[in-house]
Amino acid sequence: MEKGKHLYYVVLVVLAIVFPIVFNVPFVQHVAIMVFMYGMLAESWNVIGGYSGLFSFGQAAFFGIGAYTSTLLYMQLGLTPWIGMIAGGLVAIAAGIAIGYPCSKLKGHYFAIATIAFAWIINILFTNWSFVGAATGLSPELAPADSWYAFQFRSSKLPYYYIGLFLMLLTVYVVNKVIKSKTGFYLRALGENEEVAASLGVNIAKYRLISISIASFFTAVAGSFYAQYVLYIDPPSVLAHFLSVEIVLIAMFGGSGTIWGPIWGALILVPLSQYARAIWGGMGSGLDIMVYGFVIMVFSIFRPRGVVSFFIRK
Amino acid sequence: MSKGKRVLGLVVALSLVLFALYGVAFATKVIKVGAVYPLTGDIAPTGKLCKEGVELAVDIINGKYDLDLIMARTEGIPSLGGAKIKIIFADSQGSPRTGMAEAERLITSEHVVAMVGGYQSAVVKTASYAAERLKIPYVLSDATSPALTRRGFKYFFRVNPDDVISARNFFEFVQDMEKKFNRKLRRVALLYENTEWGSKVAAQQRKWAKEFGFKIVADIPYYHGATDVTSEVLKLKSSKPDVLMHAPYVSDAILFTKTFKKLNFNVPLWMGMSGYLDPNYIKSVGKDGEYVVVRSTFNPDLARIKPLIGKVNELYKKKYGRDMSGIAARSFNAPLVLADAINRAGSLDPDAIRKVLLETDIPGDKILMAWKGVKFNKIHQNIYARYILVQIQGGKYHTVWPWNVASTKVVFPVPAWNKR
Repeated sequence: MEKGKHLYYVVLVVLAIVFPIVFNVPFVQHVAIMVFMYGMLAESWNVIGGYSGLFSFGQAAFFGIGAYTSTLLYMQLGLTPWIGMIAGGLVAIAAGIAIGYPCSKLKGHYFAIATIAFAWIINILFTNWSFVGAATGLSPELAPADSWYAFQFRSSKLPYYYIGLFLMLLTVYVVNKVIKSKTGFYLRALGENEEVAASLGVNIAKYRLISISIASFFTAVAGSFYAQYVLYIDPPSVLAHFLSVEIVLIAMFGGSGTIWGPIWGALILVPLSQYARAIWGGMGSGLDIMVYGFVIMVFSIFRPRGVVSFFIRK
Repeated sequence: MSKGKRVLGLVVALSLVLFALYGVAFATKVIKVGAVYPLTGDIAPTGKLCKEGVELAVDIINGKYDLDLIMARTEGIPSLGGAKIKIIFADSQGSPRTGMAEAERLITSEHVVAMVGGYQSAVVKTASYAAERLKIPYVLSDATSPALTRRGFKYFFRVNPDDVISARNFFEFVQDMEKKFNRKLRRVALLYENTEWGSKVAAQQRKWAKEFGFKIVADIPYYHGATDVTSEVLKLKSSKPDVLMHAPYVSDAILFTKTFKKLNFNVPLWMGMSGYLDPNYIKSVGKDGEYVVVRSTFNPDLARIKPLIGKVNELYKKKYGRDMSGIAARSFNAPLVLADAINRAGSLDPDAIRKVLLETDIPGDKILMAWKGVKFNKIHQNIYARYILVQIQGGKYHTVWPWNVASTKVVFPVPAWNKR
């Protein structure tokens, strides 16, 4: 049984690797890259929101921190965004702990509200801070040709595709490892019932911070990836409240609290929104957004536990 | 292989060939051009005005119109057998990421031969980068950030004036006023909203003030969502400026106007932009908005000196049921300049189009705007593009500068609040 399951994953990964070569259309590749990015974001959120019961509506803050850190390090010091990406993840962990620690007593709605406020503070801060480009944002100098050092690829989207795929799979792998470990049991205990977990001797504050750190790190890495992909960041695009909501939406839609749920969410919702826009967006009627909203409504009524509930037989 | 399969294979191959041939034949009849605009979201109303301007321009290119405008008297692109221009619109949702993705999709999936439009500088930044990467010409006529033409792009051209030109025009105007009224107006106050646009405008004004030898006596940024601006106005008042240059959105333009009146802040020359041009400004402040001098690129009253403007405005009115706004008029230019280039190139090859765009030299009487023409410099900025200034008089905008296109005499100085 286990062996069969492994084979299944191998086939999926091989398909994912071959996919952009068969469908060598930039827009299709762009949609796939967005699936990977949102899959990664939703999976990161899953650690806190899905397993640990911490409903963060402020993930955009960490996304933005990642995007800004790697871009600034590249622009100011010429440091390759690959290192910048990790630095961004570490800064995000620091920020996550800085916000997570004082909020360690907050639960449910109150935690959600605190994270919204935190993300807005970061947004306003960056909008007015001239060192980070304020409202104008940052655009790193464009490399004249493809460059691994500068993490910029002009001629083809394939590098972004494979890097995105790798980062998403890495996130899934790490989250899976953590959840299956002892730490993971503690995290899930937090999510089920904090009081009970505490009475059994789980150090709530510590495991909360661990959970927040994991989510912040991968969210920030996705932010750096985004910055290198679009090569222009400003507060409305990387620190927007809407982004935080999208992340939660995709994870919930796919099925939070399961390993593959958030990925399913990204796999369905991202292409849906992108293609709906490509087909109907040019009319300016907003039809694409209505279709998107309608699908989400139907699913949340009939499949409240997410897309994965199709695959879980009970 | 069975016979049936072979036949099937043949049929598939044949239809593929036919399909490809059809594609080629199709391409010579219709020339696809891409345009990305914010068609949903909070800027959608403005995006739709831009779209209308582009659509009217395409009507004029494809049809026969008795207008003294490039591409009007011919149908389609004459050098390409009368091929018609078709604009494929896409929605940027006001987001740089979406703008980039849509530009890429238009180029690689819809096979547009060129791009126009964009409206928001942030979106044009990424969309034009996509076009540059894919080597597709991009003709812009509706975003003003100076940075856009300073990236050394090969395929990117801007027809409309940017914020550098705007700042220079403001000071040229003040100099002209000094001469006309024989009065020194050297003390200038800058007031601007502190995000992307406003702060960049102020940076340019500082630079040109120095160049022209003006003195900045106040330099005041503020948040455009503010609900009370008393301290800003008091600061302005104590600096005793001769000229106020204000870069607001609409709600803050209204709030400042009301506070100026309340605190009796008088300035001989009151200049503004953007928010002051919004139809809602005059509606909310009524008579208090009188005598503000506002930057624009187009005003229907220019029909007096340029009958073409009246004629195009009539066409626009017939199609959309209202006067052509400055926003629609701005977006109207890019498709025409591009179509003219395609016609002169006689080819859809991006490099051929780029080459003739560089040689563009359209005289002023062949374009809608009251400019000397269209001609690109080293960074592909139209050197003849400039702003006009309009003044609010009797609840309407009247062109007052440059003097040679003015429809109305400028009122100066602005009367004090207690003498109105």
